[in-house]
Amino acid sequence: MKNLLKIALLGLMAANASGQAPATDAGAETNALELPEERRWRLGAALGYGERSNPLIQSDDIPVVIDLDIAWFGERWFFDNGDLGVSLVDNRLFTTNLVARVNSDRTFFGKTNTRLVSVRMMAGGATGALADPATGETLQTPQPLKPPKRDYAVELGLETLFGGEWGQATFRAFHDASGTHDGYEISADYSYRFTRGRFSVAPMVGVTWKSSDLSNYYWGVHRDEDSATLQFYEPRGGLGWETGVRASYFLSKSVRFAVSANYERLQHSVAQSPLVVRDHVSGYFAGLGWQF
Amino acid sequence: MTRWLTALLAAWLFHTPAIAADPAPVRLVIKPLLCVLDKTATTCSVTFDIRWKSTQPADYCLADSVTPDPLRCWQRSVTGDMKHERSFSDDFAFWLTPPAGGARLSEVKIEVLRVGSTDRRRERRTRHVWDVL
Repeated sequence: MKNLLKIALLGLMAANASGQAPATDAGAETNALELPEERRWRLGAALGYGERSNPLIQSDDIPVVIDLDIAWFGERWFFDNGDLGVSLVDNRLFTTNLVARVNSDRTFFGKTNTRLVSVRMMAGGATGALADPATGETLQTPQPLKPPKRDYAVELGLETLFGGEWGQATFRAFHDASGTHDGYEISADYSYRFTRGRFSVAPMVGVTWKSSDLSNYYWGVHRDEDSATLQFYEPRGGLGWETGVRASYFLSKSVRFAVSANYERLQHSVAQSPLVVRDHVSGYFAGLGWQF
Repeated sequence: MTRWLTALLAAWLFHTPAIAADPAPVRLVIKPLLCVLDKTATTCSVTFDIRWKSTQPADYCLADSVTPDPLRCWQRSVTGDMKHERSFSDDFAFWLTPPAGGARLSEVKIEVLRVGSTDRRRERRTRHVWDVL
């Protein structure tokens, strides 16, 4: 964490010391192409229907009927749908930003319920007899099973964005800055957009490494949560991957028909958790989008 | 689910100007109305299919917001059509006008939409906090 903050501060100092305005290079490129200046605000909404599966036990899949897009881009600072960032370096080859964001794993813990069960949830999808964790005594009556509570974590990190005719690539490294899980996450993704006529489609692939602390906080069964229905479990750090596609058919300059689908494979150790019923998360959405 | 889709379809149909503009005495129809540019492209090169129809014969000229002179004029006609090639990078409009100019009897806006940006920050893929995709 300290190292990450040092890197971020050094980056800020370097950008300030050189008097480099990150948007200048991009602006020069824009002028060279004679492109009109983009508005600072980007406001959009998509209405339709979609769902994201929830890998957490005793929880509902997450319906999506509206997808909001709220972003603001200044010379250095930007707000992008909950992410707050500042550009440290922006040149012909890449853009590096310091970003604060909210961890998205907490989303799964928002729609949970309690059920009386007659088995104990164990690692790897196995079940056993209900047992008192203190005495080991077998229990005969059904016991309540409810996923534990998890908090949102504010994470601070660096991201580097690459882009060109070959597509877009992103490298990110984030660390918990809120003392919630004290872990870190490193990810990389690549996407490419094809545009033909009014149709645009952008497939993507990505990999994410989540540390032991992060994985354990959200997906482990902690010592104090070891119960008659949930067995203690401590996942390790690991690598997950995801793929997805976003497509748009533009009906006008501001209205489009949008479709997106996403598949995320949980890292093995998380998928083995007693809290997890599926080893993946899948999502889809289709609807009409407006850009204001 | 079905109600949602019906409501969305109705909202879009009522938003479509073609339905509201039907009673006009002169109607100009042009295809395509939209050019989509990727971030690496700077101009649209389009062959427009231009057609118009009037309820009564008269002299009409086709003008646009880019060139000062009319593109073509028709005399004592109730219909007209033409193909027109153009390269452009910004929104503009075609309209039908009397030869003397002035009134825009029927107008069609041609739009340019740029997907993607040279500002890489605008190309970030984020998972929104308030939703899940």
